[in-house]
Amino acid sequence: MFRSRSWFGSGLWKPKNPHSLEHLKYLYNVLAKNQIVSENNRGLLVETLRSIAEILIWGDQNDSSVFDFFLEKNMLSFFFKIMKQKCGSYVCVQLLQTLNILFENIRNETSLYYLLSNNHVNSIIVHKFDFSDEEVMAYYISFLKTLSLKLNAHTIHFFYNEHTNDFPLYTEAIKFFNHPESMVRIAVRTLTLNVYRVEDKSMLKFIRDKTAAPYFSNLVWFIGNHILELDTCVRNDADHQSQNRLSDLVAEHLDHLHYLNDILSLDIEDLNQVLTDHLLNKLLIPLYVYSLTKRRRHSQLEDTKPHVSSVVSLFLLSQVFLIITHVPLVYVLASIILTGDMDIFSQGASENLVSYRVAQGTATIKPGFVAPTETLEKSLESSTTCSIDSTEHETPQHAECETGMDTQVGDSEPSAVAEDGTVDSIEAYVNITDEEKEQRLALESGVAPPLPLAGTSSGNSSQQQFLANKPFLEMIVNTLQCSENDYAALFALCLLYALGHNPGVNRDLLDGILFLSGRESTKHWYSTLLAERLIRIISTSCQPNCRVRLVTLELSIRLLTQLVMKNGQSYLHDAHLAAVEGAKEESTCLLRNFYKSEEIFLDMFEDEYSEMQKRPLNVEWLMMDSNILLPPTGTPMTGIEFSKRLPCGEVERARRAIRVFFLIRELSLMLAMEPETQLPLTNPQSCVHVNNVLDLNNSDLIACTVATKEGSKIRRFLVIDVIQLILVEPDTRRLGWGVAKFVGFLQDIEVTGDKDDSRCLHITIHRPLPSGSSTNRVPLLSARFIFDDHIRCMAAKQRLTKGRIKARQKKMHMIARLLDLPSNVQPCPSPPAYTVLAHRHSDGTNSRSRLAREPGHHRPLFTANNKVPGFATVAMRRESLPPGRMASPAKIRSDSQERHARNGHVVRSREGSPRLPRPRSEEIPLEDMGSKHKPRSGVSGTPSPPTEVNNGASQFPLKRPSFPSLYPPAPVGTPEPPSPVAVSTLESQVAEVETERPPAPPSEETSFTQMPFENGVLDKEDRKTRRRGMVETV
Amino acid sequence: MESQPNKQTGWCNGIAVDLYSGGVGKSCLLLQFTDKRFQPVHDLTIGVEFGARMITIDGKQIKLQIWDTAGQEAFRSITRSYYRGAAGALLVYDITRRETFNHLTTWLEDARQHSNSNMVIMLIGNKSDLESRREVKKEEGEAFAREHGLIFMETSAKTAANVEEAFINTAKEIYEKIQEGVFDINNEVCCTFLLNLAS
Ligand SMILES: Nc1nc2c(ncn2[C@@H]2O[C@H](COP(=O)(O)OP(=O)(O)O)[C@@H](O)[C@H]2O)c(=O)[nH]1
Ligand SMILES: [Mg+2]
Repeated sequence: MFRSRSWFGSGLWKPKNPHSLEHLKYLYNVLAKNQIVSENNRGLLVETLRSIAEILIWGDQNDSSVFDFFLEKNMLSFFFKIMKQKCGSYVCVQLLQTLNILFENIRNETSLYYLLSNNHVNSIIVHKFDFSDEEVMAYYISFLKTLSLKLNAHTIHFFYNEHTNDFPLYTEAIKFFNHPESMVRIAVRTLTLNVYRVEDKSMLKFIRDKTAAPYFSNLVWFIGNHILELDTCVRNDADHQSQNRLSDLVAEHLDHLHYLNDILSLDIEDLNQVLTDHLLNKLLIPLYVYSLTKRRRHSQLEDTKPHVSSVVSLFLLSQVFLIITHVPLVYVLASIILTGDMDIFSQGASENLVSYRVAQGTATIKPGFVAPTETLEKSLESSTTCSIDSTEHETPQHAECETGMDTQVGDSEPSAVAEDGTVDSIEAYVNITDEEKEQRLALESGVAPPLPLAGTSSGNSSQQQFLANKPFLEMIVNTLQCSENDYAALFALCLLYALGHNPGVNRDLLDGILFLSGRESTKHWYSTLLAERLIRIISTSCQPNCRVRLVTLELSIRLLTQLVMKNGQSYLHDAHLAAVEGAKEESTCLLRNFYKSEEIFLDMFEDEYSEMQKRPLNVEWLMMDSNILLPPTGTPMTGIEFSKRLPCGEVERARRAIRVFFLIRELSLMLAMEPETQLPLTNPQSCVHVNNVLDLNNSDLIACTVATKEGSKIRRFLVIDVIQLILVEPDTRRLGWGVAKFVGFLQDIEVTGDKDDSRCLHITIHRPLPSGSSTNRVPLLSARFIFDDHIRCMAAKQRLTKGRIKARQKKMHMIARLLDLPSNVQPCPSPPAYTVLAHRHSDGTNSRSRLAREPGHHRPLFTANNKVPGFATVAMRRESLPPGRMASPAKIRSDSQERHARNGHVVRSREGSPRLPRPRSEEIPLEDMGSKHKPRSGVSGTPSPPTEVNNGASQFPLKRPSFPSLYPPAPVGTPEPPSPVAVSTLESQVAEVETERPPAPPSEETSFTQMPFENGVLDKEDRKTRRRGMVETV
Repeated sequence: MESQPNKQTGWCNGIAVDLYSGGVGKSCLLLQFTDKRFQPVHDLTIGVEFGARMITIDGKQIKLQIWDTAGQEAFRSITRSYYRGAAGALLVYDITRRETFNHLTTWLEDARQHSNSNMVIMLIGNKSDLESRREVKKEEGEAFAREHGLIFMETSAKTAANVEEAFINTAKEIYEKIQEGVFDINNEVCCTFLLNLAS
């Protein structure tokens, strides 16, 4: 079966085939002769150990006699003997790695059992290696982890000894739970989870009785100290200097919570009880909840009890509710936050929450964030050696009470919790104490009746009742006031959001507070105080220069809709609705200030829209971002995402105004239960898509050859639609029809002539992609278009250039309509970006650009093609910026955004298409170039008649979007200061809804550069007379 | 060791993450790098999940730790922590099996969500010795790496071609980031590698 001679011939040190029983015998002899480790045989031993592992694995897979020999000679005992000598890390590490490889690779169960059977492995586990050596530590813990991956109901007995109550694999490993090296800690956590999931009653009983209290109390202490450190980091870093450190600490906290949640999710009742108890009473209540009160009274005396700032505690509690779902834990914690008072710190969770029976079992430890009395190592020693169970009396079992609740843990639907848990959760409320009743009364009186509440002042008595003796809820609600900025308010919102979305928090608890009341007596009531606070944030966001970040606004809106809507139906009171509508007006006004004919405005508008659609707020991710823990900043140089900081410079102020407008518009539509009909500006359904078959009888078709940089050349017909450029190939089945092989938006097009070849155009169609994810900067198409002759080439160029302008113009009109702008702010058509670049610094003095040079208007804040983040253009707002300050990092891209998706494969499918027979040029008659010059819309303030919108596209058998009719001429861009916006009070906003706000003309503050206009581009107009493009099909 | 270990020696932790079924050669790469003994001769497959080795960069000794995280995906907290604890990751695919290449995007998204954004990721096309069975062109690997900002190399754990370079280049990149202060030195993890192992 195996050869006695190596047939590799390389027998320098291997006397035999390295994979053979003979070779193992040889190695055995080496070991036997070198039982004492010395300087001289170190290297030999290491080689031998390596070879043994290799041959054993080979044997495991190929020849069982190899393993038999290993066992027969009890070779594992040699390992142990070597280890016991002070053999040095070199040998030690190899030994551990050999064992590691051995246990990881043995597939044969019997072999594995044999390896484990003689208790050598446990002796190795308890061996005191030199753990100060990082490498030894790493290999050791890695070895333990490997073993834990082998645990199952059978193998567990080799590691856990029921009779001696001994489980070294577990008890040795957890001693390293707080090791400074994170990889070691991770390995320990992995191991513990692998242990817990083994279903073995007596082992789990051992874990619970002998190790749970010491391990969990130490773990909780470790986590608590970690967050104290985090708090220090936040306090000392108002200047964003140690972002890395902070982000590590935050991520570490998340790791801890995920670990705790992983344990709790294993659903081991007894264990969960101890863990919940420790978490609540030794960490969450005395440290997290306690710290909530640390801001209310500034006069508060120095507190000697450990605490973190209220901002940090809101942040951490949000994380807790976003991650942990164990019902007994989150329920108790949520009740304390929403209804509890300061007594909780003296009495513990149990007394306040007797109604929740589970709490009886958990709250046996007096709350307090205090160090464990002894080290984990000590506690483990005493609890596993002496027979007295120190933890038993401390945590009486209430297993039978918990059973019902625990079945709910897995439910992810909040509603399911209420329904499934009928027995326990309903009983929990039926069986309430007087104290609890009082609380519920107070709670309900804070819920507004479904009648309009005039005045909506937050100081009325029912609102005070709402918060009466609920210091934590009061603190959260008060934090929602963004007096200076929204720093803390954001976290209060997050916590409310997290409470509302945790599947373990009973809906009853949130009734009327975070959701519409569902109870009969108070049906559809909601907390007016909270609603008003949220609306206040929303209307504050619409003020120019306000200090509310976009993320705060978005979250407020989300909470408001959650609070007042049910099944798509809004129960918002009229007064509140009026306030929201007022905010919408304000946001529209704010955006009007930025509305300009500026080319980039349209791109920004569409970019922001698609960005918001693509990336709705994700609170879980938001709470992973440590940056928001530092006071809000405006500078993008911190690397903080736009929505999580204040705008910096005019461009960002415009972007912000656009987003505020979208967000509030969406809210308003939602409350009115109306669908969005005007956004996005391009309706994808009305566009031509690749592979659509189009009726082109009656359309203008220009034959051309498309030559890409890669060298491919394809014959196509160019069709210029209202908003799209389409390359078609004739449909072989129907005369006069064509198949779209490529589509791009005219607004994203760049056309240049070719100096050397008058029949050629260089056409680039940029990809409509949001700037946020600009990983793919490759244009949709960049190719040379070769036409049959110079005339056709010129015609194509003109139509493309004009098509671009018109497409953009139409969208600007649509935006104007969205902003209720009357005709006096008529946008000017803009030349293509390349023209802008070409002319900006040169001449730009042709007659049409007159407006651009009016004082106060020529402010090139944007360089259209500058895509380099961090590149800053000099601020032009002299009046508001100190000289030398940087402004408006020009991250703006010239290509615009719309739909994405279809890109990529478009080009591919084009390449794959068969070549067209080249039609004779005579078959595609050119339009009459000389006909019908028309005044150009916008350029001189003259509107384009709607009929002009029509071109070949109307003959397409496809629906087109209808564009708003154009506005009568009006003076453009008279500089005017922005209209003052009323300070937001709910009352004033309500009043404002009635009165029509005059549209704000473009303000000096916010003016965009007026682009110089390229002469001659528009010389040729849309043709009235059109001849039919004849396509010869194959 | 002959040279006095520098006081600033740090551990470089790395992780190897399994994308999919396995067999791309993570274990072989790890063994080839940390323990030149185990070469994939005789078709003997040896699984190994951890290895460490000392290397020298700029005259400074740096310990690299390489963790293969395969098979530990059962717990969310663990995957999360591994990604986070690592300073670098090797994303390995098998050039003879296109499906291993096709899964890279998914893996990358996952990694980016959990990991430190500064994590250095090296893309490795392994089994370059099997030219005749190649299914993924070198240019494709290069293009993918370029698009996602990764370093790229083709290796063979069998012939040892580029294995040394792959690990050392990744370590160099990490080291540079440490010098730039991108990675927090106080953080005990100097340099951990995840071997993803995109198998
Ligand atoms: N020819 C060749 N085979 C390799 C190479 N690397 C690994 N293999 C083989 O691929 C298989 C899987 O390797 P392994 O390292 O276990 O993959 P893992 O599952 O990713 O850890 C084994 O049979 C190896 O012998 C290589 O570079 N070249
Ligand atoms: Mg492997």
